[in-house]
Amino acid sequence: MGVVGINMRNARFLLPNNPRRLYELVDNKLRTKALAEERGMTVAETYGVVRTPHDASRIEKILDGKTAFVIKPTRGSGGKGIMVIDKKVGKNFIKPSGVEVTPGDLKNHVSNILAGLFSLGGKRDFALIEYRVQPAKLLTDMSFQGAPDIRVVMLHGYPVMAMLRAATKESDGRSNLHQGALGIGIDIATGMSVRAIHHGNPVTHHPDVGVGLIGVQIPNWNTMLKMAVTCQEMTGLGYLGVDIMIDETMGPLMIEVNARPGLAIQMANGIGLMNRLEPIVAEHRRKPAADLAAKIAFSKKHFQAKLPAPRV
Amino acid sequence: MSAQAKLLTAVVILCVIGGGLAGYKSQKLGVPFWQDKRVDEWLVEAKLSFLATGKDVEARLALPANGVDEKTGQESGSLGYHYHVDRDDGEYTALWSAKNREEAQALYYRVRFKTGSGGGEPIEATGEPQASEIAKLPGSLGAAAEGVVSQAKSVTSNPDALFVRFFQRINSPESSQEYAMIRRYYEGEYFANPDIAMGIDLLGMAGVPARIAYGVELNEDTGAQDPLPLLEYFDGFAWKVRNPAEPTKAINGNDIFVWQRGGGSLFEVTGGENSRLSFTVVRDRIPLASLTDLQESPLLIATILALPVSERSVFRYIVLIPLGAFVVVLMRNIIGVPTLGTFMPVLLALALLEIAPVKGILMFTILVGAGLWFRFLLSRMNLLVVPRVAACVVIVTLLMMLMSVIGYRLGFSVGVKITLFPMIIIAWTLERMSLIWEEEGKQSAIIQVAGSLVVAVFAFYFMKISQIQYWAFYFPEMLLVLLAGILLIGRYTGYRLSELIRFKTFSNA
Repeated sequence: MGVVGINMRNARFLLPNNPRRLYELVDNKLRTKALAEERGMTVAETYGVVRTPHDASRIEKILDGKTAFVIKPTRGSGGKGIMVIDKKVGKNFIKPSGVEVTPGDLKNHVSNILAGLFSLGGKRDFALIEYRVQPAKLLTDMSFQGAPDIRVVMLHGYPVMAMLRAATKESDGRSNLHQGALGIGIDIATGMSVRAIHHGNPVTHHPDVGVGLIGVQIPNWNTMLKMAVTCQEMTGLGYLGVDIMIDETMGPLMIEVNARPGLAIQMANGIGLMNRLEPIVAEHRRKPAADLAAKIAFSKKHFQAKLPAPRV
Repeated sequence: MSAQAKLLTAVVILCVIGGGLAGYKSQKLGVPFWQDKRVDEWLVEAKLSFLATGKDVEARLALPANGVDEKTGQESGSLGYHYHVDRDDGEYTALWSAKNREEAQALYYRVRFKTGSGGGEPIEATGEPQASEIAKLPGSLGAAAEGVVSQAKSVTSNPDALFVRFFQRINSPESSQEYAMIRRYYEGEYFANPDIAMGIDLLGMAGVPARIAYGVELNEDTGAQDPLPLLEYFDGFAWKVRNPAEPTKAINGNDIFVWQRGGGSLFEVTGGENSRLSFTVVRDRIPLASLTDLQESPLLIATILALPVSERSVFRYIVLIPLGAFVVVLMRNIIGVPTLGTFMPVLLALALLEIAPVKGILMFTILVGAGLWFRFLLSRMNLLVVPRVAACVVIVTLLMMLMSVIGYRLGFSVGVKITLFPMIIIAWTLERMSLIWEEEGKQSAIIQVAGSLVVAVFAFYFMKISQIQYWAFYFPEMLLVLLAGILLIGRYTGYRLSELIRFKTFSNA
């Protein structure tokens, strides 16, 4: 079946291909964003960075009248510590779920971020305030609240597998699969959704909103593949996952790069990662200097899935 | 060389060194490899500690006669002291002397002997022992004591029976008003061992010569212990020694080692103050001859065994930590049990070794449960991380005190050992658990804590196997073989057992 387990992922793909020193580039979102911007990639606009408790006390000045924004720790992982604000009513801010957040709560959240509550290993951290992505309607329709994102796993710059992660009522707006979010497998060649899983079991429709999940064409697919390959080139990591969101007006935005992408993507696509990683290892050995276009062409040619009928 | 080849080379080298040393030790030096072939010997270490005052120091320590006589092993380790053994009429004394000593000093004397040769045999008297001079008891007490003695003598004049009778009554003073009264007087007069002073005097009044002796309790778990006062009495032919706390039981050398007999002082220090004598006891499983070979072996494989006994006993637990770590590796990388923090289960397992596992787990659960509730109360106050963890530490401390008190009231003695639970670990467990609770839901938080407990219990039972403990302690080089095993697992790329469940939809498809 070629399913890759955690031990094999770590020993055969992570450890030999991802040198420790490169982790800093992706574990720190500020550096990832700076690198991406150098390469001309579209990313969510940064409104401000809170670096000191003094900054935290004047956060409203940094926000400068913005009413929709996202606050995240620059070194967070697994979506921890991310606070999304949709609008402002009077003095208070409103989260997508409708919960009100007072300016005091906001400052407190930022202080927790600075103290390292959400960062890897509890190191002191900065809080990043950025543009609130307005996900394309096609995608929000497939999700119960929350903002769906697309994860592309890469090896040596070759796209390996992709999936769309959509929130459910159970996952409470988050897109972590083990908390009950949906994983929707996407064909590398065309960008069409081919399979969906909920808690590891195949489903065809969203359990809460009832919309069909299979046979959906993801827009701007080629742009996203190029984005993913560029992320590999700019970080130098051999094995990585790239998270992308599609904004209604700005198109695909690179959100973050993950140096330890999970294994649930295999279940979302119904195929073991090994079936794709091994051909890539062989191809990479044969042509170490392949360029971006050649890599995408290789993946599209070899990893084509059997397509379902398009959703009506 | 490829990574694979490097790994295999390292594994082979480690196995050869570890296995080779262990083989050498058991084949050439005669250290038994299997636990049941062991030779049971006891090692008693006397530690004489005192504060030197800057003048010349002279210290004397009475030695067990049978420890020097019977060619049992003995050694004295004290740097920079002149040392010799004085023999005077069957009694031995170790003498240390040094010039101009300052600060804390420690002198060691070790004796080893086979189980059962505890030195409790009767000794034939030289000359006719005289009944000891009896301190005059004031007023009515003297009359009471005489009454007690004549009452006893009217029943029996056998010294053994008198000894038993006196001490049975001294040990339970509520049995008779006279005994209680006399005992109160001795408690006021004698700071140390009033019971024995009283017994000696009563026996003396009854015409049985008696004197104090000192012994060591043969119990590994007490750690450093004070000398155990014993009583020697003359039965007309020989001096017999008994433990006044258990007057009817003869000393057979399995529970008590008699260190000093003859009624002299146990130790004396001139040129020092605050002097104190303590004993540490360990059961040794290596024959003395092999031990000497081990300690003189150039390969330094005596390692732990060359240390003073009091330090050696610390290693009884330290050598177990790698074993616990090995279990954690197995459980996480081969089975895939989720745990909170990587090595928290090892610390938990060590705590379980001290407390009984059921009680320990119960206590852990109560502590974590109660602590978690407080932690949620704290989270309402929006505290910053470090002060919040510190607050958790304080709360955990208070909870432990509370549990100790409640446990004591209910008659459990668990509370006393509770401090061994690593408090900071519990505080961090609370912090991480409550974060996971908020971020990923209570299910994953509980699963991870339960996983940690399961791993801890497995590690506990693994570390508890006495053959494993024996190897870890007497063949520490076997840890190199364990290390090789851990390295091999480090390159295991197969599925974890838990992943077989996680990926099972694939086999259905």
